Amino acid sequence: MADQPSPGVGVHSPLDGEGQGGGLTLAQTPAGADDSQILTVNFGPHHPSTHGVLRLIVDLDGEVIRKVTPVIGYLHTGIEKTAESLRYQQVVTVTDRHDYLSPLFNNHSYAMAVERLMGVEVPPRADALRVIMDELCRISSHMIWLGTSGLELGAISMLWYCLRERDKVLDLNEEISGFRMHTSYIRPGGVMADATPRFLDLLNTFIEEFPKSIDEFEDLLTENPIFKARTVGIGYLSREDALRLGQTGPMLRGSGVDWDLRKSMPYSGYEKYDFEVATDAGCDCYARYKIRIRELRESIKILRQAVDQLPEGPINVDDRKMLPPPREELDTSMEALIHHFKLFTEGYSPPVGDAYAATESGRGENGCYVVSDGTHKPRRVKFRAASFVNLQSTETMALRGMVADMIAIIGTIDAIMGDVDR
Amino acid sequence: MKSRVPAALAKIAVDSGASAGDDWLTVPVARLRETLQALQAEGFTTLAFLTCVDHLARSDGQVPFSGPPDAETPVRFELVYQLRDLEGRRLLRVRTFLADAPDPSAPSVQDLFPPANWDERETWDMFGIRFQGHPGLTRILMPDDWVGHPLRRDFPVGGEPVDFSSDHEQWQTSPPLA
Repeated sequence: MADQPSPGVGVHSPLDGEGQGGGLTLAQTPAGADDSQILTVNFGPHHPSTHGVLRLIVDLDGEVIRKVTPVIGYLHTGIEKTAESLRYQQVVTVTDRHDYLSPLFNNHSYAMAVERLMGVEVPPRADALRVIMDELCRISSHMIWLGTSGLELGAISMLWYCLRERDKVLDLNEEISGFRMHTSYIRPGGVMADATPRFLDLLNTFIEEFPKSIDEFEDLLTENPIFKARTVGIGYLSREDALRLGQTGPMLRGSGVDWDLRKSMPYSGYEKYDFEVATDAGCDCYARYKIRIRELRESIKILRQAVDQLPEGPINVDDRKMLPPPREELDTSMEALIHHFKLFTEGYSPPVGDAYAATESGRGENGCYVVSDGTHKPRRVKFRAASFVNLQSTETMALRGMVADMIAIIGTIDAIMGDVDR
Repeated sequence: MKSRVPAALAKIAVDSGASAGDDWLTVPVARLRETLQALQAEGFTTLAFLTCVDHLARSDGQVPFSGPPDAETPVRFELVYQLRDLEGRRLLRVRTFLADAPDPSAPSVQDLFPPANWDERETWDMFGIRFQGHPGLTRILMPDDWVGHPLRRDFPVGGEPVDFSSDHEQWQTSPPLA
């Protein structure tokens, strides 16, 4: 067993085997009578449907896929190494950047891990604002998924409609944090800034209007015969395979497993909100499409409740060893000045230990494992990337399918290569 | 704090506890597969991630992490396996320590947990831990001709030369450096 590669998990390096590496796009026919019909082609890394720089080495028998070997690493930026040389409060900025479509979730996991190490609990208003921003981020991430998936499967106008809606979320990001994409809004100890009245106005309008847009998207796709022909029964991933391959997020729920960290192991007060976990036993690309559409509606439900119940109070922990004092105190208090100086020259040092915290992002479990050695910089920061794990199911879903189905399958995984390669 | 370690593993585990609310147990590397198999039977069927931590001594000679209580040789690498029980909604972290040897190795668990396949390749790529029994232990994130393991604490930072266009005469005309 140990010598056999598990199905669904590519193990071949581009440099081993029969000299597959090197060629860019053209085919190569391996020697040997049995394999004479097998054609090996490179799919990507520059193919527009690979969402970045994913390369798949595909063995084809005519149009039928016989083997898929994903090759990753083209977008490796050494995020984890960078994090080791930054102080705890500075690491937040790199957590934004590996999965660039779910920066808030990565901020959130990192912040929760550091808070557990420090032994602090954030106030309820910070938790509610985190939930609001997480759900907005889920919507914007699903908008990119829906737009690009539609585009690849022939519904070109989807991309424009979805980007229009996503822009409203980016406006909200800008209003609350000053930044449209890499907000660094959620940080250890609380959040960066309080919600402004204009933010709440914009958010209320968005909550009112967005369900109509979801209806529009559904009108265009849900019963569209071309879209259904490209997704129903395509990319079949059985419940057993999904569990065995450690899938999370819509990939797991699309195979009928009722698992969502927000419900199953709630964090940041998700247990207070009334929402449903979207599951579907269809096990194909269409089931995962329906799940993401339902998640959009559930996100709006959560947003509605979170805005209505938004508690008053502070948005940061009251701990001067971890967060700087308010600006006005610096003029009058020597103590505040010392804390401010210490925080911005040295930072803070959690006690020796390690912590793992995970959030349910648009793609699954995005976690962060932080090891402290008692200094002001982390000894190790490991990001548990949902895309990295989910991508390993490509072969299981694509085997014995047609090469054109690869497009739908890559789209349905919704892998962000920045997150896969980190 | 007493951690909730399954009774069947009480004999294998050399140490256990809880760190920041997460239960963990330490096992000798020789009994790692046995432990994970037993935990899989206990319901911990999902491996959230596996990774390595390099406990190389700091410049002041201090190693802030003590490792297993009965270790005779100084330990350097710590392998961390984060397991999740979907039914019981539990988390458990299994850790094992490797000595500071030139070629550290551990048994592969990719046949027990298929997602470990890429995690082990990444750990080999980044830390140089050799996983015995892995079917294709090759680099996954770094280029195949890369030398060294970047996430080790003694890997130099910022050592990659950059070709600036102002130096074009030099790098276009001079023979390549030995």
